[in-house]
Amino acid sequence: MQIVSSGLSDVGRVRTNNEDSFRIVEALNLFILSDGMGGEAHGEVASAMAVDVINKYCESEKEDSGATVLDEVPANISSQTRRLKNAVAQANFQIFQSAQKNPEQRGMGATITALWLKDTLLSIAHVGDSRAYLLRNGNLQQLTNDHSLVAEQVRRGLITPQQAEESEMQSVLLRALGAHPEVEIDVDEVEIIPRDVLLLCSDGLTRMVTEPEIAGALQAEMVPSAAAERLIALANENGGIDNITVIVVRFEDDANKGWFSWMRRGSAKKD
Amino acid sequence: MAKLSLMFENKLVKEVPIGSRPVTIGRSPDNDLPVDNLAVSNYHARVYFEAGRLVVEDLDSLNGTFVNDLRVERATLHDGDSIWVGKHHIKVDATADAAIPWDTGRKTAAPKINETMVLDTKVRREMIQQAAAMGERAQFSAGRMKVATLVILSGNIDTKEFTLTNKLTVIGKSPMATVRLKGWFKPKMAAQINQRDDGYYLGTGDKVPRVNGTPITGTVRLNDGDLIEICGVRMNFIFRE
Repeated sequence: MQIVSSGLSDVGRVRTNNEDSFRIVEALNLFILSDGMGGEAHGEVASAMAVDVINKYCESEKEDSGATVLDEVPANISSQTRRLKNAVAQANFQIFQSAQKNPEQRGMGATITALWLKDTLLSIAHVGDSRAYLLRNGNLQQLTNDHSLVAEQVRRGLITPQQAEESEMQSVLLRALGAHPEVEIDVDEVEIIPRDVLLLCSDGLTRMVTEPEIAGALQAEMVPSAAAERLIALANENGGIDNITVIVVRFEDDANKGWFSWMRRGSAKKD
Repeated sequence: MAKLSLMFENKLVKEVPIGSRPVTIGRSPDNDLPVDNLAVSNYHARVYFEAGRLVVEDLDSLNGTFVNDLRVERATLHDGDSIWVGKHHIKVDATADAAIPWDTGRKTAAPKINETMVLDTKVRREMIQQAAAMGERAQFSAGRMKVATLVILSGNIDTKEFTLTNKLTVIGKSPMATVRLKGWFKPKMAAQINQRDDGYYLGTGDKVPRVNGTPITGTVRLNDGDLIEICGVRMNFIFRE
């Protein structure tokens, strides 16, 4: 499978600094996005640290035992997913420690959405209110749950999605990296097929641009860099109240197998 | 002692103390707080103490019970809260019983927040407790472990039953697949099932599976007994105890 990806970050129209960080590690097919928080420049420190620690952890040669960072080891996920989860736990701990050591960094934290593809298995690790989406067969699915107060209230049926969108408490997170020495990390796995498109984004996009608009932009722009630019432009047109960061990843069939998969797909349609 | 004050347009209608017996609210005159309004159900809601906390519970009323602005089925009450039923509201006075200091996000976050913040542990713990008190409607009761199982009804598959223990179950021809499809024209990844905190979700792959005869869009949550059809294979999704 061929993988084309592009990431872009924009300060938006209201803020003066950009607290988002992202990284695409092509050699590993690792995609990391983090939205920092905590006044002054410390949000940037936290998000940059999150991205860096995860990248290094996934890159390192050593096989991890799986239980080094986490108390419980769920056996029902692949070793790759477990490793990504450990990487996120490590990032959380380092941000927390740094904030403990440096009083001026108190209260800094970050969201994290990390995707790691090996062969066709996509591992997802997530904390906070940044999001990962999968566009498949024209359908946009959110792969992550927001760990925000309003999202939790919607899940529990206490408020409607409309009320959530209008809520003044959209910025209140229930989980983030760096707040505590341990953090609960959501993990999931998805099997990727050709023509899938992945989107990672900070809340600066999802608060400004609706899901149908996002799906439309991803379908209209086949080239990931163009799709990323369009999404950022949409968020800025709608107000750009926060930093906007997106990573777009597109999967394609290997070119040399094209005629065969075309034939196979043509036949398979009938059954 | 905690008390409830029934108000209509800022005028006090009736006041009752809350003791060991629940205080009932409704249109019927035999309620402790009768509310004469057609928008209110005969037995609309009740308020009582539970484990030291004051709780309001909606009794399946037609138009709902609201605490401040949130519609609730069950919610913990705090001093100063207002319970709304129809156009009446009931002020909660729990000052004398303020044994548990309460510092909800709801109150602290009242001013508009632009900066992202994280709720501290204590508040979060209490929120989780509150959520737990909001009715044990969870699909998976703690009692017995339920194991999700796919039972193959028909189709070219050797194994007749698959236990869904993994987070991800792939249906297709891929070596990754748990439910291995056989045959020339079968896709590598026809569909997938994800195990999440609140249940099992079936998603499309190269094919769009049918659940109980209807093609799915995106992902759908599977219910006990669902019939899944994909690539000529029919299977039942069931929970085994």
